[in-house]
Amino acid sequence: MKLLELSRPELFACRGLRVGISGRAILPPIDLTIEAGQFWAVVGRNGAGKTTWLRTLLGLLPPVGGLVHAVSDVRVSYLPQRSGLDDLYPLLAREVVAMGAERGWSFLGGLGGRDKKARVERALAEVDASQLAEQPFRRLSEGQKQRVLFARLIAGDAEVAILDEPTSAMDKVAEREAFELIRKLQANHGLAVLVVSHYLSIVREFADHAILLDADADQVVVGTPEQVFVHPAFRKRYGDFAAEVQHA
Amino acid sequence: MPDAAAPTPSGDFDFDSLLAPSASPPPGPAPSAGVVPGAARLPAAAQPALSTQVAHEEKPTWHDFASSWDLYRDPVICGVVAGAVLGMLGVFVVLRRAVFVTAAVSQSAALGVALAFLLGIYLGVTPPPVLCAFALALAATAVLAWRSPSTRLPREAVVGLLYVGASALAVLVGDRIAQEAEDITAILFGTAVLVRPEDLLAVLGVSGLVAVALGLLYRGLVFAGFDPDGARIQKLPVARIELALWTLVALEVSVTTRAIGALPVFAFSVLPAMAAIRASNRLSHAVLLAGLAGALSGGLGYIAAFLLRFPVGASEACVAAALFSLAVLAARLRRVA
Repeated sequence: MKLLELSRPELFACRGLRVGISGRAILPPIDLTIEAGQFWAVVGRNGAGKTTWLRTLLGLLPPVGGLVHAVSDVRVSYLPQRSGLDDLYPLLAREVVAMGAERGWSFLGGLGGRDKKARVERALAEVDASQLAEQPFRRLSEGQKQRVLFARLIAGDAEVAILDEPTSAMDKVAEREAFELIRKLQANHGLAVLVVSHYLSIVREFADHAILLDADADQVVVGTPEQVFVHPAFRKRYGDFAAEVQHA
Repeated sequence: MPDAAAPTPSGDFDFDSLLAPSASPPPGPAPSAGVVPGAARLPAAAQPALSTQVAHEEKPTWHDFASSWDLYRDPVICGVVAGAVLGMLGVFVVLRRAVFVTAAVSQSAALGVALAFLLGIYLGVTPPPVLCAFALALAATAVLAWRSPSTRLPREAVVGLLYVGASALAVLVGDRIAQEAEDITAILFGTAVLVRPEDLLAVLGVSGLVAVALGLLYRGLVFAGFDPDGARIQKLPVARIELALWTLVALEVSVTTRAIGALPVFAFSVLPAMAAIRASNRLSHAVLLAGLAGALSGGLGYIAAFLLRFPVGASEACVAAALFSLAVLAARLRRVA
């Protein structure tokens, strides 16, 4: 990720950013700025380039062209898709939360002491998951795991939270609860939130910014959810379902 | 006997001193291996004990073992320490689903030792076998870690290629150095009964270093393995952490392979970790448990080999497998209860 001078509340900026794999761009240039406190919905069909864009933004993939700017020392936390975490690891929930506090080479330090422990406990309490602290993470339900991972975001004192399909394994009620929790954390901590989700009606309700990615049509639409969800590109891609979302 | 680093055609190890009836009868209570590396360097105090001990052929007893403790102390310590550290290290290997990487690396280390002997015979210049083992182990690790974008083969295929290639080459090299052939067998299958003092020192020193490094890197190793993308995004040096892990594996495997053989090294780096991960819900406990299970496998395996006249390496591996079976059984019983 190339770092150029940005100043808070601006946290990330894409300028003519081309993303792709093996040097081949899959989307047209992207221009946008992400600021503290914004709630971004990242939408698009499967294979639309959502994860590729996010990974480029996070510095996990090199840009094919253009630039990603990030404010210096920006603290980013990432909540991966379910498959991104290894369930073989026998970890307690509080140990997973404590990972949020690691930055750079901090793991070489001591155990972290009381301050770190207190941060972990506060974070778990804020997402109403204190009772899960001593539970094996791998044995939690999907909803409980998400709460623990939200606590990890807070324990890391993140400024930007990037959530890749955080509710994909949840029922409708749990999904709404999760989004309400995300909004609460956003308000309490001034987080910039980027959520990849296929649950368009919920996304429309919670997000204040949206980006539609469509690698097949070589199109990117950026704006408010109202602007994006009435865009011809969105309607073309989502068909009748687009109308339902617009009237939700 | 010449220095271990300079094996001669007459053999690096004085097998006859233990095996030839005229010199001293086969050690009745000793494990059934036909190879006794470093026998000529047995402590003087141990020699009479060995002679009296091997004078009779009846079934060895615990008393026989205890009375010859001076003789068997070093290999037992070596097995216990190697088992403990390989067990702890193995937790991270198993969690990274790279079980056979250790097998390939240990076979490569064995090949390194064999090549050192070969160089000594044909070129007259013998590099230290442990260094050769480390070089080959490190090279194998580098090959496994390197992912060419154009390679379409899964890592498992490369592991298989390295394992088969290194094993076959070690046997071929062994065939060309007849005098050391039994030593190669000892290294490949862990049939060595005794451990040379310099190998014990190497195992103790390197194992201590690896244990300390594991403690330092622990949190990084856990985060980088559990959620590599999350760790990268939080600026952890994931690639360096992985490099450190596999360098530690190469280091520990190379010295322990030289001392106790490839088979028990592979067993210690896999089975105790599997048992511990199965038995514990906390990773820190699993690491300690794996160390304990590895130490038990090394110690009890050696004693079992002594009492039952089994080959040492296979006996140690079987004890490790038995402990894994017990852990599975205990986990099932706990679930039923």
